[in-house]
Amino acid sequence: MDLSRRRFLEAAVLTAATAGLTAACGGGSGSGSKDSKNLKFWYWAGGLSDKVVADAKKHFSDATLKTSVIGGDFKTKLLTGLKSAASAPDITGLKGEDIASFLPNANRFIDLNTLGADKLAPDYLSWKLKQATSQDGKLIGFPIDIGPCAMFYREDLFEKAGLPTDPAKVSAQLSTWDDYFDAGVELHKALRKTFLINNIGSVFSMMIGQGTKRFIDEDNKFIGDQDHIRTAWTTAVKPYTLKIDAKINDNTWNAAIGNGTLGTEIGAAWHALDISNAAPGTKGKWRVASLPGGPSNLGGSFLALPATCANPELAFKVITWILSPENQARGFTDAALFPTAPAAYKLPALTGGDAFFGGQKTIEIFGPAAEKIPAAYEAPADAAVSAAYFNQLTAIEAKGKDPDDAWKDAVSQGKQIAQRQGVK
Amino acid sequence: MSSSPVAGPAPTGPSSGPATGPTGQPSPGHRRGPGRPGRRVRPVSAVARRGPRRGIARYWPQYLAVSPYYLLFSVFMLFPMLYTVYLAFQKWDGIGDMQFVGFQQFRFLWDDPIFWMSLRNTLVIWVLSTVPMLFMALLLAVLVNSTKRFTGFYRVALFIPSITSLVAIAIFFGAVFSNNFGLINAILKGLHLSAVPWMSNEWTIKLVIAALMTWQWTGYNAIIYLAGLQAIPSELYEAARMDGAGPARILFSITIPLLRPIILFTVVISTVTGLQSFTEPQVLFGSDASTNPNSGGPGQAGLTTLLYFYHQAFDNNDFGYAAAIVWAFFLLILLIVVINWRLVQRKERRP
Repeated sequence: MDLSRRRFLEAAVLTAATAGLTAACGGGSGSGSKDSKNLKFWYWAGGLSDKVVADAKKHFSDATLKTSVIGGDFKTKLLTGLKSAASAPDITGLKGEDIASFLPNANRFIDLNTLGADKLAPDYLSWKLKQATSQDGKLIGFPIDIGPCAMFYREDLFEKAGLPTDPAKVSAQLSTWDDYFDAGVELHKALRKTFLINNIGSVFSMMIGQGTKRFIDEDNKFIGDQDHIRTAWTTAVKPYTLKIDAKINDNTWNAAIGNGTLGTEIGAAWHALDISNAAPGTKGKWRVASLPGGPSNLGGSFLALPATCANPELAFKVITWILSPENQARGFTDAALFPTAPAAYKLPALTGGDAFFGGQKTIEIFGPAAEKIPAAYEAPADAAVSAAYFNQLTAIEAKGKDPDDAWKDAVSQGKQIAQRQGVK
Repeated sequence: MSSSPVAGPAPTGPSSGPATGPTGQPSPGHRRGPGRPGRRVRPVSAVARRGPRRGIARYWPQYLAVSPYYLLFSVFMLFPMLYTVYLAFQKWDGIGDMQFVGFQQFRFLWDDPIFWMSLRNTLVIWVLSTVPMLFMALLLAVLVNSTKRFTGFYRVALFIPSITSLVAIAIFFGAVFSNNFGLINAILKGLHLSAVPWMSNEWTIKLVIAALMTWQWTGYNAIIYLAGLQAIPSELYEAARMDGAGPARILFSITIPLLRPIILFTVVISTVTGLQSFTEPQVLFGSDASTNPNSGGPGQAGLTTLLYFYHQAFDNNDFGYAAAIVWAFFLLILLIVVINWRLVQRKERRP
């Protein structure tokens, strides 16, 4: 026992410091002033064009942009980061599927209209800006990209089945969902192993995007049991009863898209990259046509400035520079981010032909669709509620559950989720 | 992630538990039992009776030596755990204001069919994995115990699965059992049998998850059994053999009864960890689809309770409800552990 009290205290302090260090690692500098030149910038891999971000660092030479590409669950990490000014980023990405759930806490972000975003608004798609606007008119996010949807189809398989092959003709002839399903029946009759769609959830999600109402209305009332949802549901179940649904709900999609199991694929513009990555061998065989039933959107993210931002003026300059029409066009080339500024649709990066689609100028399909996407109110709990419907649609495919029973369960579960989230 | 048995209680529990019978002295003047380090030096009994204040002062180097673990434990385990009790009575989205809602979250829980389904899934997966896992582990341990050569190799081989990354195993199993292009279905097709939709049928999904857990933890339990087997005196076996007992008789009359405390330990640990399956279904079915993440696969057949908790907390940001789920689940695990304990204990008294 020759340890003195002093050495005990030393050891105790050391132990505490070690524990403290472990807890605090990752914390950063937190300056209180609003004119710092150091800006912490969070986004996720593929969320922005890395080349544009690198150029932004050069362009704003008087500022230091400290970018972090955050892996894993971005929303959870952002929620944790926003807890204190020291750990919060000064500029952050917000994913399209999360934006609605951040709106009730709009005060955690800077209203970009106070920095001059309202003057830039006419240059950007109004329905997309509306997604990031709170009910009292605050704009919390500046749009990075959108996901205008279309129908991708295999030209060679359509030809074998005696269907039209020219994108304009396909768009005209398969303009409604019923026309589309009829074509699917013919396709499957001619080629037994080829199905029209990968799963019925994809049809449902497209149809919800085509409407102006979703699962909860502006008065915070549950409307997931009303006609617009019921219609989307019945339409989505049709390909299942017609047996033109490939019922793919797992990673076998990668193989199915390459070996001709799927004759068409409905999805957003960025989905083209998934197809070309999964099935490089089908290059030149795909074409793009308008989505049956009208334009729809899936995904598309935002850049936002947390309320603790160290220099809002400068940060706003940075994000508007990164998201200028010219830089958005580069983002389309580098990272398949479909621009939110229609001016970019006329730039060569977008007007060129795409070799994967046999040289087709896909902007002729996506461009007009992007500008005609209906604006719908998306409630904070919307994504959580919609999960119940997707789960039940999958249950129809996986277990052969009766579609009417599935509908009843989807509505009652959707209602419960809504109730838990504070919806009337 | 969560399901590493190493994180459970220290393996000293059962061997010094009440089941083995008191080999040490009951030590009458020793009331403040756990955590008291002074047991070995008890003979100087006059010193030990000086009251707790002096005791701490006297043994501070020992307390200091164990303190880092308890500090980390309090910060990263105890505090979050107690905080979830508080959260279970609130409605909170993660950044906004909390709102006290009383027992409302638990009422929601009671009415939520998905919660009950997740409990059923968890229990089925647990039974499907734990029962074969412990049987096979015992068998393997007896086999390895009787080998004379390469024993080191066998032990290492048994232990490797439990230290392999769970995510890697899950991805591998996902590829092996894949519906259209998996290895198993390729073999089945090669034998002119029809392929099984492993990853979309509600029972085969559970079977795949259970197979994964069995594969990972059988060896770990076998190592623990092996340690127990080596503590059984060889004279007992010799005596049994002299009396003409065959291998089966020896197994059931000597090995298993003497191994009972170890079996109790593995049953409790496998219950606690096996019920907490999360990473397996999360990786197997956690498709990165933005529309419906972490739903537990087709028909939600792989939705375990912890995955449902994760979905509520981190996809829906309904932290109050998620806290209510884990506490309800905690009570269930506790109940099952008590039942297990009593089952194995009661058999103990019979012979």
